[in-house]
This record gives sequence, structure tokens and C-alpha cells, in this order.
Amino acid sequence: MTTGLVAGALLVLAVLDGAFSGFRASAGRTGLIGHRAADWRAARRGVTLACLLLLPAIAVVSASVLAAPGSLGAGTRAGVVMLAVYAPYALVVLLALACYWSLSWRKRYLAMTVILGPLTLLRPVVAIAGAVAGAVSSRDVLTSACAIAAAAALLAVEPAAGRAWYAQRTS
Amino acid sequence: MPLRIAEVLEITDLLWRADADGNRLPVLRADAVSRLAGRGQRRAARIVARMPGAGGVLDERYIDDLLVRVHCELQRLSEELQFARRIAELLGPLAARIREDGKATRVRVVDIGCGVGYVVRWLAATSALGPGTELVGVDLNATLVTAATRLAGREGLECRFMHADGLRPGAVIDDGPRTIVISSGLLHHLPAAGLPAFFASQAALGVAAFAHWDIVPCAWSTLGAWIFHQARMREPVSRHDGVMSARRAHPADVLLAAAQAGAAAYAPQILEGPRWHPAAIDVLRPVVGARA
Repeated sequence: MTTGLVAGALLVLAVLDGAFSGFRASAGRTGLIGHRAADWRAARRGVTLACLLLLPAIAVVSASVLAAPGSLGAGTRAGVVMLAVYAPYALVVLLALACYWSLSWRKRYLAMTVILGPLTLLRPVVAIAGAVAGAVSSRDVLTSACAIAAAAALLAVEPAAGRAWYAQRTS
Repeated sequence: MPLRIAEVLEITDLLWRADADGNRLPVLRADAVSRLAGRGQRRAARIVARMPGAGGVLDERYIDDLLVRVHCELQRLSEELQFARRIAELLGPLAARIREDGKATRVRVVDIGCGVGYVVRWLAATSALGPGTELVGVDLNATLVTAATRLAGREGLECRFMHADGLRPGAVIDDGPRTIVISSGLLHHLPAAGLPAFFASQAALGVAAFAHWDIVPCAWSTLGAWIFHQARMREPVSRHDGVMSARRAHPADVLLAAAQAGAAAYAPQILEGPRWHPAAIDVLRPVVGARA
């Protein structure tokens, strides 16, 4: 039960991160005034890429658990610790986005300047910190490798999406 | 000896050269690199040194694409700071006053140094200044004007862009009393000694009003510029120039003195919040003047 919840929560966070990564890869590329459709398309692309890049790590973890059910504990320990690092970060980001959309346009910038901008800068640090903490707590080499591979996969989404769809595109 | 702030250079300033008639001149890599290195801007020099080119001349096509990308990234920051809305909020009453005074039913807004024309296109897309507003963007860089025109065309926006010196008599502004001149992020590209002439040229054209936004030079804006350009921009040129813009921006007293020297009849003022309580949205603040 706990394992399922932890894995599900991490997957939701990964999907959200993929969507935001896709959006960031597209933002500031088209130069158009109306870019909502392009933003949504970029988010979908980010989710797709995140799922594809995470697939090897998920496959290895799943196979190792099937082969040795005893390794489930290591995976769960790592997942709980990763969640403890990632969930607060995600919560702050989602709250800032809620503020952004609910505040008047005069106050909207606050969510960007005070929270979302700096947090974007911190994102790689948080991603690596969560993976390393998860790896250490798992006390298992394979689980550690998968935790770090998963973080690396998510950090690769934005540059990969940029190269695949948005490099040189200015119109 | 540390450099005076005004001596730092932006890379984009070095990537575009033109003669007096506006014809493009080749950019010599060694010249740009040595100018940056000579000011101790080694990172900027390395960025330019890596740019493609042949025979010591930087590749024009590469520079064109780069400049458009940099300006599109800048547009994203402007969107996040609600910059176009803030401009519309200030211009609305100015435009209304021109109409009420009976000077004209159609008001013209001319954006000097418009880049890819974000502000003009946003005003056109939202009709924020109401019907009867003519929107014109002007830039000395033909590549950016072409990009602005193409982007406006893609969205079917009623505005136009011109490759010209917007403040040269007869070039763009032929009906000053119904014209409001604006700019954003232009003033720090001008030397302090040239600012009075910049404002005087608008007074000589008899424009109804002007409003020029630029960065407030302070530690907060430099720190904010660094954080946001690192977080949001992908181009190394954008990241470098964004911080340099904040460092080389003119202080309020310099801008105000220049505006008063060049256009005293416009009762110029600087609209910025208290310095002890900096609001991030005021990181760009305008010098505003209106003919009495």
C-alpha cells in the first residue's frame, strides 16, 4: 500500500515536472503574443518526453522487484525520502502558480519574482539532492542508480525538448 | 582599477554595425573580442570568440537569428513582469488627453527601438488604447524590424514596423501633436552625454508626450536580473546582457536632469517607488513628459 502510494505520488510529480519542463523549453521561443495553444502543446511534449526518459529507470526497478521481492523495501525507503524532498518544493510551486492565476495583474509578478523564478534556478539542486538522499537511504546499489537516473532523466527533459522542437525557432 | 558602470558593454551592442545611411557593416570578431576583453569582460569575450564566422567576420545569418532569439526571450520576461499592461495603463490617460484636447481623433504611439515589437504588438492584440490608435514600431536594426513585421502578420495585428531613425525629422513622426513616443530598455544604450539631445529631439518634433522605461540601477535590480536571466534565458548572450543592462542603467537624477535639459516644456518626471522598499515590478520605471 505504502509502496504504491509513494510510487504514484512520485509519478505524479514527474509528470508535472515534465509538463513544466516542456513549457519552459517553449517559452520565449515563438515571439507570438497569443501562445496559449503553443504552451499546452509544449507541456504535452514535456510529459511525453519525461515518460520516455523515465522508462528505463522504471523498467529496471520493476524488474528487480519482480526478480527479488525483498528489494521492494529499499525502493520504498528511497521513494519516501525522495518524496520528502520533492513534495514541499512542488507544493510551493503549485501554490505560487495558484497565486499567479488568482491575483490581479498588478500583483501577479510577485509569484514570478519572489517564488517561481528563484525556484526554477534551484530546481536542479533540489532534483539531485532528492535523488542522492533517496539513494543513501535505500542502501541498495541498483535502487540508488535508478533514483539518480530518474533525476537525471527529468533534468534532461527541458534541454531535450528544446533541441527537438524549439531550437532556432523564432517564428 | 574597477570599471565605471557606464563602461561595461553589452554583447548585442557590438553585433550590429551600420553606416550613417543605416546600411549594415560587417562585424569583426577580433574587434568585438578585444573591446570586451579590454574592459575585463572576459566571459563576454569568450562568448563572442565562439561565434561562427569566416575570414574574421562574424556570420551575419547567425547574428540575425541570435538577435531575434534574444529579443524573443526578453519578451518572455516582459510578459512575466506584466510590462505591456503597465505601459498601457500609463498611455491610456495620455492618449485620452490628446483626444479630449481636440488635437486629434487618432492618436499615434511610436515605439523607438522596438526590437521584435512586443509592446506594439501587445497593444494591437489587446486594443488596450482603444480604437483610433495608430501603433508604430521603429528600430535601427532591419532584422528585428523584419521579425516584428512577420510576427504581427502571423497574428493579423494592426500595427506597422519601420527600419528608420525614429527621431530624425520627417522619418517617422510627421504629426507631433498627436504622437506619443515610447521606448523600453533603450535609455541605457545611450551615453549620459547624449540623453539631453535624445529628449530635445522629441521636443523639436513637437510630440504630445513621451514615456521611456528603463531599469532602475541598484543592487536589487542587478541581483534580480542575474537570477531571472539565469532561470529564464537560454542564450549566453541574453544572460550576460541582462545583467549588464542593470549595471549600466542611468540613475534617476541623471535621467531627470537630461529630460529637463532637453524637454523642459514637458515637465518631465520619473515615476518610481520608494528606494527603501523596492517593488520588483518597478524594476523598469518610466521618464514621462507631456506638453502642457
